[in-house]
Amino acid sequence: MPVAVLQAALAAEHAAVWAYDLASAFVTGSAAGELHDAVSAHQARRDATQRLLADAGVQPVPPEPGYLTPEPVTDMVSAVRLAITAETDVAGAWRAVLERSAPDPAIRGMALDALVDAAVRASRWRASAGIAPVTVPFPGTG
Amino acid sequence: MLVGEPVALSGCTVLASRTPRPDPLEAPARRAEADAALAQAVAQAMAQTHPALAGAARALAADRAAHASALRAQLRRVRPGAAGGASPQPVSSPAMVPPASLAGPVQARAVLSEAMLAAQGEATTLVINSPLPGSRAALLGSVAACCASHGVLLR
Repeated sequence: MPVAVLQAALAAEHAAVWAYDLASAFVTGSAAGELHDAVSAHQARRDATQRLLADAGVQPVPPEPGYLTPEPVTDMVSAVRLAITAETDVAGAWRAVLERSAPDPAIRGMALDALVDAAVRASRWRASAGIAPVTVPFPGTG
Repeated sequence: MLVGEPVALSGCTVLASRTPRPDPLEAPARRAEADAALAQAVAQAMAQTHPALAGAARALAADRAAHASALRAQLRRVRPGAAGGASPQPVSSPAMVPPASLAGPVQARAVLSEAMLAAQGEATTLVINSPLPGSRAALLGSVAACCASHGVLLR
């Protein structure tokens, strides 16, 4: 099992849960529902990754006590940008799991689901914020 | 006592004469090229009447063209010459449709959306079920994630 990259993916999921928690104070209207779904998805992914590591006898990394945001989060626009950053980080972490994993359908399936979800969510946030381009050709890279 | 040997040898011959399997990235590369052409056609057809859809189709065409060249680069890495041909042959993939079906924006959107679903499905199957090296799994994972994003945005 590619422990190091799975731990990095777990760390990215912890950070995403934290980021969405912070963003939730500033996101209103229909986007609030979307944000709620995002939090649930990342919590579920975090829990599944923790279980996977623990079942393999590995101590899962805990969340950091706090995280630095690329810019102060003060309004809906900066909150959505933080959500995009979190999803981009998550996509990169799970793509790395694909890259470093043996052809194991369970782990590759989990990593692919997570990469697809993060890319779709980042695109939706960009669309809602009017950020172009809305999609990137290779989610999880660069 | 040596009767068994020729049998074993002929077995080897049979194995050796099999045509080589196509590279598993060949199909997604062709599909990406076909999708790029399809999206380009939609963008042109909708440019005047439905600029938003035309813009989405142009972005989709650009992303699928990027997928095609990344996949072709991987193919060339394994078999220099074989897949490295000059211009890719025109392909008739399930994603290619006659222009008549692009007549209206609703149909055009549905055709693109279906193409993205098919591309995502193809990449997903390869990532999960094929014993691909990690670099290829990661590339196809990004392709699936990009196509899923376009699919959701087209809905």
